[in-house]
Amino acid sequence: MSESETAPREAAGAAVPDAPRHPWYWALLGVGVVVALAAVTRTLETAVPEAAEGTGLAGVAKAVEYPVYAVVLGLLGNALLTATGLRDRLAGGFRTEFFIKTGLVLLGSTVLFDVIVKAAGPAVLQALVLVASVFLFTWWLGGRFGLDDRLRALLASSVSICGVSAAIAAAGAVQARREQLAYTASLVILFALPSIFLLPWLVELLGLNDAQAGAWIGGNIDTTAAVAASGAIVGEGALQIASIVKSTQNVLMGVAAVALTAYFAFRVAPAQGGAAQARPSWARTLWDRFPKFVLGFLVASVVATVWAGLAGEAGQAGLDTAKALRDWFLIAAFTSIGLEFRVGSLREAGWRPIGVFAVATVFNLVVGLVLAVLLFRGFTL
Amino acid sequence: MNDRTPERAGAARFRVSEDWAAVIVGLVLLGASLVGLIPAGLVP
Repeated sequence: MSESETAPREAAGAAVPDAPRHPWYWALLGVGVVVALAAVTRTLETAVPEAAEGTGLAGVAKAVEYPVYAVVLGLLGNALLTATGLRDRLAGGFRTEFFIKTGLVLLGSTVLFDVIVKAAGPAVLQALVLVASVFLFTWWLGGRFGLDDRLRALLASSVSICGVSAAIAAAGAVQARREQLAYTASLVILFALPSIFLLPWLVELLGLNDAQAGAWIGGNIDTTAAVAASGAIVGEGALQIASIVKSTQNVLMGVAAVALTAYFAFRVAPAQGGAAQARPSWARTLWDRFPKFVLGFLVASVVATVWAGLAGEAGQAGLDTAKALRDWFLIAAFTSIGLEFRVGSLREAGWRPIGVFAVATVFNLVVGLVLAVLLFRGFTL
Repeated sequence: MNDRTPERAGAARFRVSEDWAAVIVGLVLLGASLVGLIPAGLVP
């Protein structure tokens, strides 16, 4: 998700593209808000089940995982800060993409490298089939609904690859208008938020194993932070596979950006009377759009696997510390999703793009489920 | 995007460096955890 980094920030920021800049200390205060909410999340995670023990709510309290507290606290914080007029000033500190990527790099240290190697085959196959089919379906559907080609490209990229990140990559490739990106970004978050809770529930209903659940979640929820939140609700194994699958899809963003750039340069722009513009080479575009955190994730996994082999039991304390840090970064990302959520730009764009996105999401869910069940059947962690 | 201002272009460059920053921060924290610079039990 290279510039996806921009993603949720854009999701929020894009809704107000020309938002005024605020002094750096407001961003620092924003980070303070995120850390404070993360601390409350960690407290609730242990305090609520303890308080509910012996009551009729004990089962529910135990079932509620930390991503739920984090997202809900983020949304509550969002409402409070919006009401007090502080939200936009503090928004510079709500860096969902930085938090989730750092968390995913640290997550690499909790995934044995042989698990990555084992999952790579089915993950790549799933990503190729799922991204291609969902992209083409959404593109076709957007045409049937009479959407503008650029908006079709943004919607198809975001729903098939990796949410706002892909939309931003596509926006650069097809020269989309800023409000189209703002709209798509808001749409992605609007659908991702309920998915965080809905998919784990469906996983239980369908009786999927951890690997299938992770593959399904990783292949469906558009935003990487929301994938991690949903995977964490299902469990550690699902979180690992969901992250591997999502990272694989992220890598395809560069390929999509190159293809869209070529298509719009040679087919759409000439048809609309536009002049061809100087473009960076495909290799440059691929590298620019390559999600660098994947490299960090792989390095962390190799380092931790070698470390565990060399240091044995004595090295476990260090790995436990890295895992605790991972959880803090993931919680900070989940909290930021809630803090950044906006619906402003959705009101102006009408129902057609929402309809396209909704139908494409259902298509993604069904195809993703079939692929996850088939490709990750019998997969052991 | 076609309406990207110089400020926006600058912001995009910053975002790319934020991408690498996440990799560096993550790996540095991992290294610090493994060699004991961050003591076990410090992070709740």
